[in-house]
Amino acid sequence: MQVTSRFQDRDRPENLVIRLIAQLSHHALWDSVLIYLPPALASIYIITSLSQAAWLSELTAILIIAVAIGCGLLAVMLRYRPLIPSVSSAAQLVDQRAGAQDHFLTMATIEQAHCSEAFMARLCHETASFGERVELKRDFPYKLKRSAFWSVGFSLLAVILMHVLVSLVEPGVRSLPVHQRLRGLAEQMAQKPGLNRLAQDLKALATKLEDPKIPREEKQTLAQEMEKKVVEQQKKEEQQENRDLLSQAASTMKGVEQEQTASGQDQQKDQQKGSGGIQSNLPQKGQGDSKQSEGGDGESKSDSSAQPSKDMQKGNSAQGNPKEPGQDKKQQGADAKGNQSDPKQPGNDQSKEKTGKSEGASKEGAGKNQASEEPPQGAPPAERFYKTGEGKEGIRGARYVTVQLPEEVAADSKGESRAAKESKGIRARPQVPVSNAPLPAHVPNAPTEKQQVPIEYRGIIR
Amino acid sequence: MEPEQFQETFQRLETEVQKVIVGHRDLIRKVLIAFFAGGHVLLEGVPGLGKTLLVKSLSHALGMSFKRIQFTPDLMPSDIVGTEVLTENIGRREFQFKKGPIFAHVVLADEINRATPKTQSAVLEAMEERQVTVFGESHILESPFMVLATQNPIELEGTYPLPEAQLDRFFFKLLVTSPTPAELREILKRTTGTESDDATKVLPEDSGKLVNEMNQLLRQVMIAPPIEDYVVRLVHATQNDAQNGGQPNGYVKQYIRFGSSPRGAQSVILGAKGNALIEGRVHVSYTDVEKIIYPALRHRLILNFQAEAENVTADQVIAEVIKQVPKN
Repeated sequence: MQVTSRFQDRDRPENLVIRLIAQLSHHALWDSVLIYLPPALASIYIITSLSQAAWLSELTAILIIAVAIGCGLLAVMLRYRPLIPSVSSAAQLVDQRAGAQDHFLTMATIEQAHCSEAFMARLCHETASFGERVELKRDFPYKLKRSAFWSVGFSLLAVILMHVLVSLVEPGVRSLPVHQRLRGLAEQMAQKPGLNRLAQDLKALATKLEDPKIPREEKQTLAQEMEKKVVEQQKKEEQQENRDLLSQAASTMKGVEQEQTASGQDQQKDQQKGSGGIQSNLPQKGQGDSKQSEGGDGESKSDSSAQPSKDMQKGNSAQGNPKEPGQDKKQQGADAKGNQSDPKQPGNDQSKEKTGKSEGASKEGAGKNQASEEPPQGAPPAERFYKTGEGKEGIRGARYVTVQLPEEVAADSKGESRAAKESKGIRARPQVPVSNAPLPAHVPNAPTEKQQVPIEYRGIIR
Repeated sequence: MEPEQFQETFQRLETEVQKVIVGHRDLIRKVLIAFFAGGHVLLEGVPGLGKTLLVKSLSHALGMSFKRIQFTPDLMPSDIVGTEVLTENIGRREFQFKKGPIFAHVVLADEINRATPKTQSAVLEAMEERQVTVFGESHILESPFMVLATQNPIELEGTYPLPEAQLDRFFFKLLVTSPTPAELREILKRTTGTESDDATKVLPEDSGKLVNEMNQLLRQVMIAPPIEDYVVRLVHATQNDAQNGGQPNGYVKQYIRFGSSPRGAQSVILGAKGNALIEGRVHVSYTDVEKIIYPALRHRLILNFQAEAENVTADQVIAEVIKQVPKN
């Protein structure tokens, strides 16, 4: 069979279909890669950026990158496999391109053993003549799909956004420790002939700053001294480069000072939280009104500017700031014995709270002033009943003030008369109730500042 | 026989029939395809469109025996298949089988829906088995054998619509449409003048053998598995879920009561093979299938009441099925 032998070479119609399948498979692979490669690269870049910005540890970053690469490969495979054309679809494509009437489809898919030889030879001949019209590279060129452009575009956008985000956030997050910055500056200065000495001083300062044994105040003093030196040197310096370097050093020194000051303030705050707080007139541990602030009129004013306390909002006792002017230290000490709440020991507070509640409850039967000693009764109102700015814990961000009940009420509540109190030597309290509740205009010592009453006091203050 | 010889013979037959029949080129072609595929054809059209003339011309061109049976309500099965007649031969009386008109190569069953179901069913065995049984004795019919039945779609009073079982035995159902003005002009020219042209005989004397060879050649035409699969899916798509447990498309579910039988798929493939041969190909293409599927399936789809109420025809349903079934 001359016709059959003619088609045993590479240009047999079936081979044309097979070659087309291979070519289209390559196209599909490229399509898949071009869709998933840019996001994979972008995600690797983002993860690397995050790792460099110290948001991710190296191990985590490597793991995430490995997972991202794995997912990308899986996605490429999952997308690629269904896109591989079948023999029939590839043959149909060739048929369409060649203008044949399913010649290639029949040639590529039919079982030749079951066919008449004459018919097969005729079909081969016809198909070959159609095959001459087709050139795979010309008729089936690779074209970039729109999805690839979208993928590249979105990936670039993500990378740019991430880059901008990291560059915005990084200085705050990724700032080196002060001593390292100082050492870096010192190294730079050491290269300048006129700044050698200053560089050595900076290194020494860096070493001291690193040392945890040196007290904070000393570090601050050293930093101030060094700043002065740097500023002086800066004034003397004529070269622009050196001046820039010195200005950097000066700003770093300022940063050191601020850092030290800030850490000192933090410590102070911690101490305040631990040792004192704001006075409360809520009954604590059954002591009832004995914990009421005994400061005078002036004290009440200073109390009104006291710091808020979370414990207070929760109904726990809180002490006034010991550094606040006019604060009664004795009272503070007495309160501290019974009511000092340690913010570092929330469990302790809770137990205290429970104890206070139980004791307070036991005193109810003793005929004490229930109105002043009892916490607000009933379940807290539903969320929707709270006013704007209020929550379950009271007024959000409310400042705590000392609330002084009118003496009569307080005395009545304890069952004591005013005369009896005076006879005990307790200083007579003013008639004016010190409260954050709005007071009438005629009251002379009424505080100027008006505050909202915390929700837990609403049942107490009348 | 070579495919070219088939094509040539086919074209000559077409030309001869077209000498008598004006227009209806596609109809003639499909009748001839059905003939060479060994099938029977149901022609449906209003009276006066040349259905009977077409069949006569075809039988003349084929040079084969032709019988016409006019179906009426009082027609009996024995009138079609024949009967045993008592004859006297040399003093001896005996029953002799007298062949009915069914014993011919080409049989025209004119207005087949006017006969009773009993008579219609007499044709059933002849069409399928190519034999008739009279008084327990089987008689083989002529080969090739083809029944061309006609029916009028308008006058339905006093008719007996063909049962589904009998409809399924027809290879094709062809619709005879009215001629176009140009065709009508040509018809008038040919029939109202003095000149008359008859179809001449195309096939030789031993035409039976030749037709059988052509039938064998038609069956050798190659069909690619994807195209075969496409036919299967098309036929399967006409069936609703009650039949095959599949998920029919909305259109099928809406209008079809019963889908096509496997005979429908056979008809489609054989018809497509015939169409490929006459177009000079030795393999079937998708276009062959799409050309043949309408006459092959339209009488095999049993439409429901909704389709009748909405004047939805079987052809519309088939067109929708073709749209919905993908080629790959």
